[in-house]
Amino acid sequence: MNKPALPRLLTLCLLAAAAVVVSSLPAAADSRDILIKNGTILTVTKGVIPKGDVLVIGGIIKQIGGTIAAPPGVRVVDAAGRYVLPGIIDSHTHIALAGTNEGSEAITPEADVGTVINADDTAILTALSGGVTMVHTMHGSANPIGGPNVVLKMKWGRPSEELVVKEALPTLKFALGENVKQSGRTVQPGQTQRYPATRMGVNAIIRREFEKARNYMAQWDRYNRAAAAKNPPRNLVPPRKDLRLEVLAEVLRGERVARCHSYQATETLEFMELAKEFGFKVQCFEHIWEGYKIADELAAAGIGISVFADSWAYKMEAAEGIAYDAGYCAKHGVLVSINSDSGERIRRLFNDAAKTMKYGGLTEDEALRLVTINPAIQLGVDKLVGSLEVGKQGDIAIFSEHPMSAYTRCDMTIIEGDVYFDRDQVLKEREEAAKKAAAPRDKGGAS
Amino acid sequence: MKHSTRVFVSLILFLIAVMALVAASPPGDVGPTYAIRNCKIVPVAGPVIEKGTIVIRDGLIESVGPVDKIKIPEDAEIVEADGLVAYPGLISALSNLFLETPARPEGQAFTSEEPPQPQAQQPQEDRFPPGPGLLVLDQLKPKRAGVESFHKAGFTTVLAAPARGIFEGQSVLLNLNGEPLQPMVLRNGVALHINFTTERGSYPSSLMGTIAHIRQSFIDADYYAARQAQYEKGPAGLKRPEYDPRLEALVPFIRDRKPVVFQCNNVEDIKRALKIAGEFKLNAFLAGANEAWRAADVLKKSPVPLLIALDFRPPATSKYAAQGEELRKKAEAEIYPANAASLAKEGIAFALVSGSNADGAAVLRNVRTAIKSGLSPDAALRALTIQPARYMGLDRTLGTLEPGKIANVVLVKGEFFDDNAQVAKVFVDGVQFKYAEVTK
Repeated sequence: MNKPALPRLLTLCLLAAAAVVVSSLPAAADSRDILIKNGTILTVTKGVIPKGDVLVIGGIIKQIGGTIAAPPGVRVVDAAGRYVLPGIIDSHTHIALAGTNEGSEAITPEADVGTVINADDTAILTALSGGVTMVHTMHGSANPIGGPNVVLKMKWGRPSEELVVKEALPTLKFALGENVKQSGRTVQPGQTQRYPATRMGVNAIIRREFEKARNYMAQWDRYNRAAAAKNPPRNLVPPRKDLRLEVLAEVLRGERVARCHSYQATETLEFMELAKEFGFKVQCFEHIWEGYKIADELAAAGIGISVFADSWAYKMEAAEGIAYDAGYCAKHGVLVSINSDSGERIRRLFNDAAKTMKYGGLTEDEALRLVTINPAIQLGVDKLVGSLEVGKQGDIAIFSEHPMSAYTRCDMTIIEGDVYFDRDQVLKEREEAAKKAAAPRDKGGAS
Repeated sequence: MKHSTRVFVSLILFLIAVMALVAASPPGDVGPTYAIRNCKIVPVAGPVIEKGTIVIRDGLIESVGPVDKIKIPEDAEIVEADGLVAYPGLISALSNLFLETPARPEGQAFTSEEPPQPQAQQPQEDRFPPGPGLLVLDQLKPKRAGVESFHKAGFTTVLAAPARGIFEGQSVLLNLNGEPLQPMVLRNGVALHINFTTERGSYPSSLMGTIAHIRQSFIDADYYAARQAQYEKGPAGLKRPEYDPRLEALVPFIRDRKPVVFQCNNVEDIKRALKIAGEFKLNAFLAGANEAWRAADVLKKSPVPLLIALDFRPPATSKYAAQGEELRKKAEAEIYPANAASLAKEGIAFALVSGSNADGAAVLRNVRTAIKSGLSPDAALRALTIQPARYMGLDRTLGTLEPGKIANVVLVKGEFFDDNAQVAKVFVDGVQFKYAEVTK
């Protein structure tokens, strides 16, 4: 992650403004049923229905298209003149966490962000206001091997455990380049430079850790074989269980995939070689600004990318980034998603996806895929979400204009049939809060 | 000449001894006998006695009952307590009293964008100060002012706990019977205290690292115990397991279910602690826990001793501190004080503790605030007497006014939790401390 300072400031201002109304927003009702009528339905995978209804019952899409009669007691939303699309998915962010990096050491696969979910993070509300229903929230990029990541639904007001998408593919964060070699850091007197300090060191330390993990697995195999024997040897001693190596063993066994923060083409190719050598799966390269240089290699290896739409050149290794990166790679058979990496940009992922139409020449449908079905495939949840299909979960966003239009805005965000963001309601609450704040205060009342 | 000097010296010594008895009863000596009479008695163990007598002999309660049922022993010093109410001494099952180090920091911010910069690597054994083997008793510096501040709030017993690091160390139960530390000790090494904090500048520097570190430590301690046991059983042909003081200190907590107290600064900490406790089958206590009502469902499913802090300032890691000043003030004034009442309504048991709050008056004020927020005075009293005694396994000796128990008695002008109630006298281990003049 590498955020410019301005959006961060903006986020703070927005949060300060939101804070007044945050507490009054209710947790969603538990009905999980909803009927959306008369919208233009962008199914993403099954084409566009110019005018039709979508019915969600018990959190699952039951029917799409045509005129559907409202079953008794089901909330009806009129979407006439508006666009109904699958909830937007952010393939790479760091919101809803209590802490991002275990930055004290270079190798920390034991530091699992799934153990520090913060369901009270107001960035969830920000995400909902941009139609986002699901995020892949990740360990930071401070370490060559960071920690496991977690996929969350943006169920604001629900207990943290209810946000977790258990069906998602288990992932582990890796990172290459400037962040992990700490190129931006000045070593103070008395401090030591953390190893690795070069790109070759980064590759070497990752190799070393996987060799350790291989040995660890072999130790356990030997022990398990000996223990299972008819006459186990006397004084058999099991290996010590190591949380750090357990996670790497999962990667080597193919139970967990790599998500690797990587900017430059050369070191990315080296990492792909390393993965081939150790036989682990790289699911996705993160932010890869030089992806366009190796699009064919990525496509051939079946590795996706998750990138920004623009805002390159904010550091040396991003100098050769181009706005055509996402569009070009998508056209060359790479599975591309557009990510936010931010608690603020997350609310305008649809804008960022639309930029690939100008830079890269994607169609509306292709551009919309970058923030819906493509991230769903990357996260291994495309059977559940990412498009509007009967049998999928009722994660839906309603937009005022086509989501790839510059004039659009999100009016409503629905997760599994429950409304979690309703623009009209939020505006009403904000107005009431303003009225309350402007009203003369009681003597001695709280300020 | 020689003889008379000896008599004189003996006399002086006797006088000193008598004076000392008033302040503190040295161990081994016979303490005085008191008959506290004509007071209202709230024994907690049974119904209220409107006019009764409590006889204290040599640090223990000899008898309790209505004035007409209790014979006052001839050797007893009479304590006129007309107009006073007698309660069992209050117990704070978690306190940072007598710690020289500053009280627990107000939570830690885990939201830093920039990864912390590691310092030069320190030697392995110094990396996790102070560690699970630390006995806080060795660090305590009792001060009379601290004792008096707690006496005036009705507290006679505290679990003094450490407050630094992740594995903070082990606590000691103290009866506040004077100033010297040793005679106060009821039990040392009571519980292991764990805080979900970080080590600045070294591993772990993040909450998720801390959680992994705690889990790995318990895995290692269990492995260590297993290797020791295996070696004990049949050392022949086995490499001798290496001694490790840190893991050795953890063994009783993972193998013998000695209590482990987790400091829980928000609702997520509560769930984290329960998860770790479940994974390693720990005898877990949750402390702080001012957001316990948010986890009521979980706590009903897996009941666990709760030590609710009488400190209603939202810690930095709570959403109530992170979402604006208005919410923070509301949490301190209304939401946190209502926690205890909500738990009582849900039938979830808890003790009320002073925690990092070293000001007795403020602690008592917060008990009253909790009562104004819906907690019944009776439930508050139980949460400060019999409930913590049970949690500590001391309900046979403390927590109620019953014959045979340790003579920890508080005499109060007025009902304890009324705003203008005042502690008049406190007896701890049968030692009398006077605080307010008794006027009828």
